Amino acid sequence: MFTVTQVGSWPRSRDLLRALRDKQQGRLGRAEFEAVADQEVRRCVQLQVEAGVDLVVDGEHRRDNFYSFVTDKLDGTRLMSLAEMLDTVEDKAAFEEMLATLDVPASAIRNPTCTGKLARREPLAVGELRFVQQLTDKPVKVTLPGPYLLTRSMWVSAYSQVGYRDKTELGDDVVRILREELTELRDQGAAFVQFDEPVLTEIVMSEDCDRRTFM
Amino acid sequence: MRTGVHVCRGNWSRQEEVLLSGDYHALLPAFAAMQVDQFVLEYATPRAGELRIVGEALGDRELGLGCVNPRTDAADDPAVIIARAEEALQYWRPEQIFLNPDCGFGCFASRCVNEEEHAVDKLRSMVTAARELRWRYG
Repeated sequence: MFTVTQVGSWPRSRDLLRALRDKQQGRLGRAEFEAVADQEVRRCVQLQVEAGVDLVVDGEHRRDNFYSFVTDKLDGTRLMSLAEMLDTVEDKAAFEEMLATLDVPASAIRNPTCTGKLARREPLAVGELRFVQQLTDKPVKVTLPGPYLLTRSMWVSAYSQVGYRDKTELGDDVVRILREELTELRDQGAAFVQFDEPVLTEIVMSEDCDRRTFM
Repeated sequence: MRTGVHVCRGNWSRQEEVLLSGDYHALLPAFAAMQVDQFVLEYATPRAGELRIVGEALGDRELGLGCVNPRTDAADDPAVIIARAEEALQYWRPEQIFLNPDCGFGCFASRCVNEEEHAVDKLRSMVTAARELRWRYG
């Protein structure tokens, strides 16, 4: 009872951010990046165990953000900065104004844009789970982007129509991929799988729910 | 294995006024249709509304009670966390309640909303509160 856990992500260190930037700019190989991230996850898990947390997370150190990271795992996707995406937005001025009003730095937030048919090159989070399981006997929580968030953010008509007729058809594939992942995470012994759907509040609480947000 | 869905009102800025406000009322039909064990919800800020809204409708599910704000430096007072959890006990049993922050501490790698030392303090606040709650209700 009163199990103490986290929602998922942990502050990134300067070393990790440098490695992430170098990886994204092609200056650092995948193995080298993972070695840096391994160190960060080790410290993050140790801090949770020492603090007395019951259900631990890996801190999402391997992820650019909680949903954009799927571009590392799925064919048919490309990591795009919001600045890059701006080229495809019809009302650029309104989009830029929204980013400024909401205090969103366009350069810091990247999107997993769908650029073709999706295929799971490798599991989304099974590797993260296995690594944490090597570090502790505590149960592990794994976070995944929810199907609505993922479909909504991935769909950028100008790019996504190469692979899918519409957002609904893309959504069917996103759900299939997440179901496969969930099954593998269960088989690998995940204690808890949490789907993140922060955009649901945007739909019911903002004035214009069809407005393109940054997620 | 448990499954859950996490919903919040934005976690990209420390300017609370740019983040959304409103209770969960309009999302209840969607929540009820989701086949998940737990809703992991923001409740540490008044922007999230009252516990009663979800409690009266979905007391048969588990609650991941957002009880610390990931966007502030100060360690959250365990007494406040305990009071919030006791309010949740009007709708959920002790074993249905998990304690967690309102959201992550760094959803966007290059725009983390906090630093490690503060995040650790916040975890400790929750652990202290959980020990007291287990003693009172265990």
